[in-house]
Amino acid sequence: MLALSEYTAARPRIGFIISGLLSLLIIALVAAPSLKPGTFQFLHPVHIDTDPENMLPADEPVRVFHNAMKQQFGLYDMVVVGVVNRRHPQGVFNVDSLGHVYQLATYAQQLRWEEQGRQRGVVAIDMIAPSSVDYIEQAGPGAVRFDWLMSRPPRSEDEALAVADRAMRIPFLNDTLVSRDKKAVALYIPIVSKSDSYRVAQRLREKIATFDSADEYHITGLPVAQDQFGVEMFKQMAISAPLAMLLIFVLMWWFFRHLQLVLAPLIVALIAVIVTMGLLVISGNTIHIMSSMIPIFIMPIAVLDAVHILSDFFDRYPALRDRKATLRAVMTELSAPMLFTSITTCAGFASLAFTPIPPVQVFGVFVALGVLLAWLLTITLIPAYIMLLPEASLSGFGMQASASRHTPMGRLLQCVGNITFRHGKLILLATVLLSAAAVYGMQQIRINDNPVKWFDQQHSIRVADSALNERFGGTYMAYLALSPPPAAGTDLKAELPVRLADLQPACRQPLMRQIDTLPAVADADPLAQLIEFALAQQWAAAGDSGWQCWQSATAVLEQMQQQRALFKQPQVLRYVAGLQAHLNSTGLVGKSNGLPDIVKTVHRDLLLGAEAEFRIPDTVAAVAQTLITYQSSHRPQDLWHFVTPDYRNSNLWIQLKSGDNRDMSALVAAVDDYIAANPPPVALQHDWFGLTYINVIWQDKMVSGMLQAFLGSFAIVLVMMVLLFRSLWWGLLSMLPLTVTIAAIYGLIGLIGKDYDMPVAVLSALSLGLAIDYAIHFLARSRYLHAASGGWEQGIKAVFGEPARAISRNVIVIGVGFLPLLAAPLVPYQTVGVFISAILVFAGAASLLILPAILSLFENLFFDTREQPPCETTSCR
Amino acid sequence: MRNHFLPLALSLLMAAGAQAAEMTAQEIVDRANRAAYYQGADGRASVHMQITDGQGRQRNRHFTLLRRNNPGPGGGGQKFYLYFHSPADVRKTAFMVWKHIDSDDDRWMYLPALDLVKRIAASDERTSFIGSHFFYEDVSGRTPAEDRHELLEQTADYYVIRSTPKQPQAVEFAHYKNWIHKTSFIPVKSEYFDGDGRIYRTYQALQVEVIEGFATVIRASISDTRIGGHTTLGYSNVDYNLDIAEAIFTERYLRNPPRQYLR
Repeated sequence: MLALSEYTAARPRIGFIISGLLSLLIIALVAAPSLKPGTFQFLHPVHIDTDPENMLPADEPVRVFHNAMKQQFGLYDMVVVGVVNRRHPQGVFNVDSLGHVYQLATYAQQLRWEEQGRQRGVVAIDMIAPSSVDYIEQAGPGAVRFDWLMSRPPRSEDEALAVADRAMRIPFLNDTLVSRDKKAVALYIPIVSKSDSYRVAQRLREKIATFDSADEYHITGLPVAQDQFGVEMFKQMAISAPLAMLLIFVLMWWFFRHLQLVLAPLIVALIAVIVTMGLLVISGNTIHIMSSMIPIFIMPIAVLDAVHILSDFFDRYPALRDRKATLRAVMTELSAPMLFTSITTCAGFASLAFTPIPPVQVFGVFVALGVLLAWLLTITLIPAYIMLLPEASLSGFGMQASASRHTPMGRLLQCVGNITFRHGKLILLATVLLSAAAVYGMQQIRINDNPVKWFDQQHSIRVADSALNERFGGTYMAYLALSPPPAAGTDLKAELPVRLADLQPACRQPLMRQIDTLPAVADADPLAQLIEFALAQQWAAAGDSGWQCWQSATAVLEQMQQQRALFKQPQVLRYVAGLQAHLNSTGLVGKSNGLPDIVKTVHRDLLLGAEAEFRIPDTVAAVAQTLITYQSSHRPQDLWHFVTPDYRNSNLWIQLKSGDNRDMSALVAAVDDYIAANPPPVALQHDWFGLTYINVIWQDKMVSGMLQAFLGSFAIVLVMMVLLFRSLWWGLLSMLPLTVTIAAIYGLIGLIGKDYDMPVAVLSALSLGLAIDYAIHFLARSRYLHAASGGWEQGIKAVFGEPARAISRNVIVIGVGFLPLLAAPLVPYQTVGVFISAILVFAGAASLLILPAILSLFENLFFDTREQPPCETTSCR
Repeated sequence: MRNHFLPLALSLLMAAGAQAAEMTAQEIVDRANRAAYYQGADGRASVHMQITDGQGRQRNRHFTLLRRNNPGPGGGGQKFYLYFHSPADVRKTAFMVWKHIDSDDDRWMYLPALDLVKRIAASDERTSFIGSHFFYEDVSGRTPAEDRHELLEQTADYYVIRSTPKQPQAVEFAHYKNWIHKTSFIPVKSEYFDGDGRIYRTYQALQVEVIEGFATVIRASISDTRIGGHTTLGYSNVDYNLDIAEAIFTERYLRNPPRQYLR
């Protein structure tokens, strides 16, 4: 390593030329396919992915099931537009507002386009808006009417209010389309693909901007939030990360007071970030929420080593007054700790590759790569850069060791050194108390995440989210699929001969022959095929006896089909209705929609609209006839969002007011409990899908995955430390500050009630990587200085000289440098900003307090005072 | 592809009715309307409806359809009676329509399981016909006077008519195009266009036979790209001029189906 540094120091330009060319090459490889798509097919353009669904691999069972169910029930992701009017006494149910709503809905239905031969944009037929949904009502004696809820804009205030009154009688619309206070309206605009949401939302905003009204329009829905997140993410990469860099630069300048010199770490960080992100794109990976944070993670780590070099150089140069000699001394002392800190940091991040979450894997691997790259650049470019500076420009650089000691920081550190030497027991006691508090805090940790809460509280997405969830049943959708267990009803071929045994041979025999031709695994419903066959025979039968025989055959087959049509059976529908009532009583669910609601509503309006008739009728035929009435509306296809045409699978739409994973998890548990306590009348299995549920699954995987990854990397780093120090005790000691730091940080998270979410989980890897750095630097140099000064009492004074200052400068530069992230409108960035700073302060403090305290208390254990130090400066570095 | 043979088949079948004079679009449409919906004084058919949704899932329905033209010149009011045989759970369910030319149609349904006769006040006739891709209007016929018609072109076999609604807000289409066979006047294809000029809905006569002297569509389908899938209607046991009593088309017979016509 040292040789490499000396090589580049001797030929300072080569390193810069190589790394400069590499950066340009990478930039070109990324820019070419991104700016001119299609021209360079072998290259990967920049691809942004803001879809939380991609936290799980595409073949993850929960995603496969989710997509299969979306297809089965014809469900789409939705853009939600909430319209609120706080001034008019009737809310939005006035002539003006509904006129605009009508215009907007009509406009939205036309937001369609073709892309590569595929229809994209709005799925107009499934839109839920006052002008596009049907309602059923009494229309005079003995008559019912199906009509559009609002076939044209209202012409009077009474007409406008009547729209609300009508909608509120329909359970599907009440609290979904019309708010329960009858003042607001929400449009649900389904889109073909989530990636269409930005374009659709943008066009809607343009249209809304042309309205001259007092209405508030809130556009939300998960797809919009995700797209918005992508936009903000780019802003953050373009603003926050460079701003952090600038602040780090200013702080370094303040410490080292040499503009040109402090440019060097920035160049290192910049190249490391460019090359890492470039490789990420070139290798075909997407820029996901996780990978967008890679620059922010690489930057402090890249600067870290450089700060050590500059700090040491700063302190030594005044004594030597020779760049080359100073560099040699600095690199001799630092190259080993820097290598080991880089390797351990790498190990910390690389361990993320073993989590089951692809974006986290990519993140871990590329940060590890960036760290290695930063290390390589630091040990080559920094010496080279220093050599390129004219000797004269360094005149006045640095600080005499004696002068350094008398700066406030120098004095403080000496003081700290004294305290740790004299009051080691007190520090250990404090550490134990802190750890106990941390353990308590960690037990309070609440695992939770919510992609909408990734936006700042003031963000329009959050504002829309709370405005709509205050007034409506909830904008977070989860779905509960109910279906017979897979084995049920498969032994049809065995059952049929028994059921048909009583038929006359004239029709039984042809029917049995037909059954034999049925394939073992039919893609169409075999019973339906047989019924068609029997009916055709019945119509073709010449005489009365033939007709009657085939009629009874048809009857048997149809009866079997009816028994299989579970969700036409009144007792099953009542069970589902009971489940829905229970869901609504949990407090977690704003509202649920299901097949029972449709049946009850139509049944009520068939029977004069009497509230007592808002119920499931008593026979299968009554249910079926209610449903065929419903299918004579403008939107019969709506039925298939809730049940499959064979009535064997049903689906509940559940609207949650909160997208918090813990609320979804609680709901999952509540349903499990209910079904266990109230078994369904027929065998039914229940399976969740929907984005709100998927979030829970990936969170569970992440929490357990992160824990494993952390424990794994902890073990690896421990082994590395034992090898580095060639001592179990020193190895264990070096792990202590990071253990305390991580315990303290996570204890703090538990105590302040901050949710343990994705960025928080990832921070454990960063803590491991950064906290161990300080320990390695501190211990390696304690050992060296103990040997050099002949005893710990002298050694500790030396350690609290330059090494402690280097660590402190690092803590301050990087800790403060990351505070600009607090200004980001995205919460994960804020979290990372706060906790990186906190981790650095904790890790720095832990290293500077706990390590010397223990070394002082157990001097005999750690320092073999009779022998020469086991680790020669040059050999072990 | 069966459709390619339709013109030939129709021409052979309908050799009698060659047209001499040039007809106006309105005349063509009026004749087509009569050919499609008014053959004979009355009629009966067993209908097999197969609804195939966008995912290829199928549902089958069987019903008998009775029709009686009101006395008077062709193209006037009509009465329809529809009786379900299958699926079993809607057996005996019956629908009745009194089609009026100058006012909204009257519709009734009888739901045996609820023992209920209901009048359905239809706001418009472009609601689904019992869950299929057909609208009520496709079954009972859209009154020609509701649209403006224009003869777009004449091919060897067809008049191509473009029809534009007089009340655009009452319907979901912007206009539709009709291919009307020149000799039989059977409309063999209709394409419905949305506001952006895209075809979203297509009617096709798939098979035509001459039954008792009347060119009769015995298989037809409608597909709809907005909801996906298509519905096919197959007509069998077609009979004309049965002298179906007008009394059949009353509420009383909804509850007591006229067995003699239903088998």
